[in-house]
Amino acid sequence: MRARGAPEARGISSNWLGRAAPYAGALAFILLTPTFIAAPLGAVRAEPAVADSHSRRLMAAPSAVAPEFTLPDLSGTPLSLEAQRGHVVLVHFFATWCEPCREELGSLSRLAQGPLRHRVAVVAVSVAEVPVRVRRFLDSAPVAFPVVLDSDRAVTRAWGVGTLPTTFVLDAALRPKLFVAGSLDWARTDLQSALDAVGAAPPSEPSANPPTGRNR
Amino acid sequence: MTTTVNRRDVLRAGGALAAASALPTGAFAETRFEPTPGAWRRFETVTRLEIATPGGAMQAWVPLPAFAAPDWFRPGGSTWKTSSGTAEVKRDAKYGAEFLHVVWADGDAAPSVEVTSRFATRDRAVDLSKPGSTPDLSAEERRLYTSATDLLPVTGIVKETSDKITAGATGDLDKARRIYEWIVDNTHRDPKTRGCGIGDIASMLRSGNLGGKCADLNALYVGLARAAGLPARDIYGLRVAPSSFGYKSLGAGSENVTKAQHCRAEVFLTGFGWVPVDPADVRKVVLEEPPGNLPTDDPKVAAARKALFGAWEANWLAYNAAHDLVLPGAKGPKVDFLMYPQAETAEGRLDCLDPDTFRYIITARAVAA
Repeated sequence: MRARGAPEARGISSNWLGRAAPYAGALAFILLTPTFIAAPLGAVRAEPAVADSHSRRLMAAPSAVAPEFTLPDLSGTPLSLEAQRGHVVLVHFFATWCEPCREELGSLSRLAQGPLRHRVAVVAVSVAEVPVRVRRFLDSAPVAFPVVLDSDRAVTRAWGVGTLPTTFVLDAALRPKLFVAGSLDWARTDLQSALDAVGAAPPSEPSANPPTGRNR
Repeated sequence: MTTTVNRRDVLRAGGALAAASALPTGAFAETRFEPTPGAWRRFETVTRLEIATPGGAMQAWVPLPAFAAPDWFRPGGSTWKTSSGTAEVKRDAKYGAEFLHVVWADGDAAPSVEVTSRFATRDRAVDLSKPGSTPDLSAEERRLYTSATDLLPVTGIVKETSDKITAGATGDLDKARRIYEWIVDNTHRDPKTRGCGIGDIASMLRSGNLGGKCADLNALYVGLARAAGLPARDIYGLRVAPSSFGYKSLGAGSENVTKAQHCRAEVFLTGFGWVPVDPADVRKVVLEEPPGNLPTDDPKVAAARKALFGAWEANWLAYNAAHDLVLPGAKGPKVDFLMYPQAETAEGRLDCLDPDTFRYIITARAVAA
């Protein structure tokens, strides 16, 4: 079931995105923000968004710039976003206490090991959790991609993340192309096609203003 | 005319009588939930903490019930014993939160600390029909309790939501009550919501998920109240005894209160002072009061809802009202709040939400004066 007003996204091509991204991004942001219905005596509530991981769509990314980050992985080794250049990158924000997050981690792990594994990299960002908790969770449910720790939510906030899980799809030049707030079933063929399309897009010219962001 | 006494009727009547006499005192025959200030109750808690995997530099920070409120909470001091090293009471300058900072000797193979705390508390109930002449907050306190914190932004979606809830309110008391009722009315679990917030109340509102485990409803109350210009604060604490009104969901089920942490809230209203509010506990009654998942018009819910704006029971201890606390000497990040023991070893910060592995246990019992 789709929430009222959610836009149709009938297949995603890089050319279409290139032209429409700024407008689609703004539209997506407006439509995905919960709306409030004013009514007497405080019957104000947030509208729920799209139902589940089988019907939710990837939207155009709201910003053309991904703030660079370097965060420690579970062994304390720093991992930088920059090191992922050359792949389509899924940057996935999650927490182990978030039920839809737990379900999606397995789906992402299968994606990272599937037919797209040589062209798509996944980096999962654990939001404000004690490392030992994340480690214990992953010991019981291992994943096939690095997990980094954003203890004080600095990177989470720099990326404008307000919902867990949230995933951004970056192209090989680390430019955000698609995003989704909410979980997805990454086995879906439409999503795999979308990732293929991001990977097939021609590389962009170097930006006059390279992305800046917080490095930790 | 003779009356025939049917054996089955006698058995049935006897069964009903036996069942009625087996009901605990204060059970729901009348569905009462009416905390009333009365006698002070004294309690003692013991927090025993052991580092399960010792190694390197080890330290801990144990919250102490030091919140002082002369009308309803009187700290009675703490004593402790450690296996090695040093232990010192430290106090946060901004909020007055007190905690025991333990630093064990590096080679301690069985590091432990046991902290015994005493306090007295009694029920609270503010008569909201009669404003009095309670002293107002100082300008500094007013600023502190209307300001944003890391997890309580008071602008953006929080302010927009607060404005919509309080539009047309007839004064501060009306604003405070409308926010309370809005939270109670909007906390049902919606299976269609897409996820959870990131820990702050703005993302909680944006995610639309106010019914999940990640939703901290009393923090939401405090944020919405502050955004409406009403001083408000969370008080982080621990349930220490059963509810006197028979509510299983609103009290500690045994002396082991290791996982009985609960944060209550207060809003400051001129003429009334600090007023207790607990919309999160109304939701807890809805979800957990047997048989569970009660409708909001259930008498048990209605009674709790009516009382928990302006009153609460004396079966809970108050640690502190601190946010964004830096733990002195810690290598890890500041804590959003201090309601659980915290500790670090060479491996890093331990998981305070996993007491069995950490390891710690907290017990509470009533004591005589």
